Amino acid sequence: MDSFLHTLRRLSSQALIEPQLNKFLMTALEAALGATGGIRAFLATIAPDTGELEFAERAGKGWTDQICKIRLQPHNQNQRGITGHVAITGYSYAAASLSADPYAVPIFPDAMSEAAVPVIDSERQVRGVLNVQSDREAAFNPDEIAKLESLASVIALALTLQEYRERENVMAQLGRELASTTEEDDLSQRVVDLIVQALRCEACSLFLMDEQRNQLTLKASRSSLCEQVGKLHYDPGEGLTGTVAKTGEIIRLDDPRSDVRWKGIYPEFAPDEGGAFLAAPILCRDRTLGVLRVSRPRSTPAWFHSRFTECDERTLQAIGAQLGAAIANARTFNRLLHSERMAAWGELSAKSAHMIGNRTFAIKGDINELKHLLSEHSASLSNLDENFESNLLSVTDSMERGIGRLEQILREFRDFVMATQLNLQEKNMNEIVTECIQETFPRHSNVLLEQSYDPLVPSIRCDPDRIKRALSEIVENSLSFQTEGGRLKALTTFLKSGESPAITGLSNTRPYIQIEIIDGGPGVKETNKDKIFTPFYSSRVKGMGLGLSIVKGIIDAHHGEIRELGEYGAGARFVICLPA
Amino acid sequence: MGRILVVDDEEEVRNAVKRRLERAGHTVTGAASVTDGMSALTDGGPSYQVVITDMSMEDGESGQKMLKAALARDVSTAVIILTAYATVKNAVECMQLGAYDYVEKNIPEVDVFELLMLKVERAMHQNKKRFSSIQHPGLHVSG
Repeated sequence: MDSFLHTLRRLSSQALIEPQLNKFLMTALEAALGATGGIRAFLATIAPDTGELEFAERAGKGWTDQICKIRLQPHNQNQRGITGHVAITGYSYAAASLSADPYAVPIFPDAMSEAAVPVIDSERQVRGVLNVQSDREAAFNPDEIAKLESLASVIALALTLQEYRERENVMAQLGRELASTTEEDDLSQRVVDLIVQALRCEACSLFLMDEQRNQLTLKASRSSLCEQVGKLHYDPGEGLTGTVAKTGEIIRLDDPRSDVRWKGIYPEFAPDEGGAFLAAPILCRDRTLGVLRVSRPRSTPAWFHSRFTECDERTLQAIGAQLGAAIANARTFNRLLHSERMAAWGELSAKSAHMIGNRTFAIKGDINELKHLLSEHSASLSNLDENFESNLLSVTDSMERGIGRLEQILREFRDFVMATQLNLQEKNMNEIVTECIQETFPRHSNVLLEQSYDPLVPSIRCDPDRIKRALSEIVENSLSFQTEGGRLKALTTFLKSGESPAITGLSNTRPYIQIEIIDGGPGVKETNKDKIFTPFYSSRVKGMGLGLSIVKGIIDAHHGEIRELGEYGAGARFVICLPA
Repeated sequence: MGRILVVDDEEEVRNAVKRRLERAGHTVTGAASVTDGMSALTDGGPSYQVVITDMSMEDGESGQKMLKAALARDVSTAVIILTAYATVKNAVECMQLGAYDYVEKNIPEVDVFELLMLKVERAMHQNKKRFSSIQHPGLHVSG
């Protein structure tokens, strides 16, 4: 067998089985020397960020530390060298006499002639240059250059294989991470770190959909954006990232700025530094949970394209799908954990409330008896000391007040615990609101009452008592802020699908009943609008401050939404949207 | 004065109600469970004019069970249900099943013992009136 064929056969099989790339490259360089009779060989690879060529592997004599550190700069006309020339053109080149060659840059004094062939990958991108030098002039004939080209193909194969192996390792690690982590934030950061490795990209950002705000929010990033996690948002359809979220389709662009959808809102690189862009949806059962986005800086040499490949696209898409499943899984797990704990809390709370209620009742009985005994023995007590009886009576009064207060707290506590336990029945919402106003609004009041009910409002399955409880809390709240007089308006509106509710973020693809309670009180400060619905928040002294959180609990249990949308200073406007 | 049965699994509650009723001169029997309550109903003596029972003891249905047993023994017995705030709805259901009334145990700033006494007195008064109106025509016919 022809000896070069034999070498090629040995090298191909080594490319497949040798786990260490450097060892393989060394063998390949030795083979290049053997096939051409050269004195020195090297493989120069292109650094994706700078486009510089560096000596990845060297064979033969004359290599000093200083020479090893040299970076060839193909974009610099004077420093390009033969290697740079081949990297730029993608064609093999032989210099018969280095001293007379227009491209040659003298590095080794003993080199007389040189042959260089490009290492081209499956994407037809030059990855490096295989280079052989000789101490004789015109040492390389076309036959030898063809042999070098064959070796370069095997090297390209080995480089690609190595990359696949690395990617496979990262994917396997990613799989393990996805299966074992249930914390969304940890998961996001780990995924971003691994994607940077797998796709060899300089920047990766992960955005998740915030269902309530209907916005993408930055959850993790390996880029200049990493300080702004949680603070950056995209609306669906906004920019390239928003478009991926809206359409659920992947976007791959070599130059994103030339795309009409590009807005450059939160880029990882400065506008003049940004390069290739790739974004894939994080999907779970046809729902887009978020977007994964990777990008590279624009490479300095114009001839070198650090574009994302079809393989990169498929990889990111696969990661997006896996991550989607993992996030959905983590959410279900947390919901389950939460609901189990909540169920236990609910039972514990109901039992405690029952027992405290019974004890309180018994103590009330004791106070009743004590008062009876005091009145029975009033005469003899007065004989002891004239103030004694009145002192005792003031103590019993105080006890009664204390018990009364305790019972109020208990009542609020029970309302809070029971808010989500519904007794569903079919009832018209206009009737519920009317009844609630009748029961809650005082007959004689200096607050002007206005009511407006949409006759189209239908009956829905709900717990009328709880809805009334929720509305009466809001009405009582309003009245307590308008003791000197004011106004209160209760209105209902039926919103057909397609009509947008006043609460932003609610989808208009289904019908809603919208209930509004509007008053002429001081209103709610912008910064407090969310807080008022949290437990223990109250600007009123009565009770535990559970009032509006009970209201929210009741509305949540009906799968509805409640917000305060008034303008501070102009009165409060509570809006409730219930699915009809 | 009346013969009254108080059914509640909490001793303090039972005793507090019993003490207040006895102060008003009633004869009161206490029972700590539905089972005890049921055997008290059939203790051989005259039927109770009033049965006061807690809504939920062993389970949420305890009050209803007691109500049904008391009315089965004597339909003229006035059954008053003691209830917690959150189970008022169940008490309303009991009213539909024939309970005389219900008293919520924890009404802030209300002396529920006096409220209970008021309801007991009213029940006994109404019962007496009803009892005599049934008795009277009968006497009239036989006479």
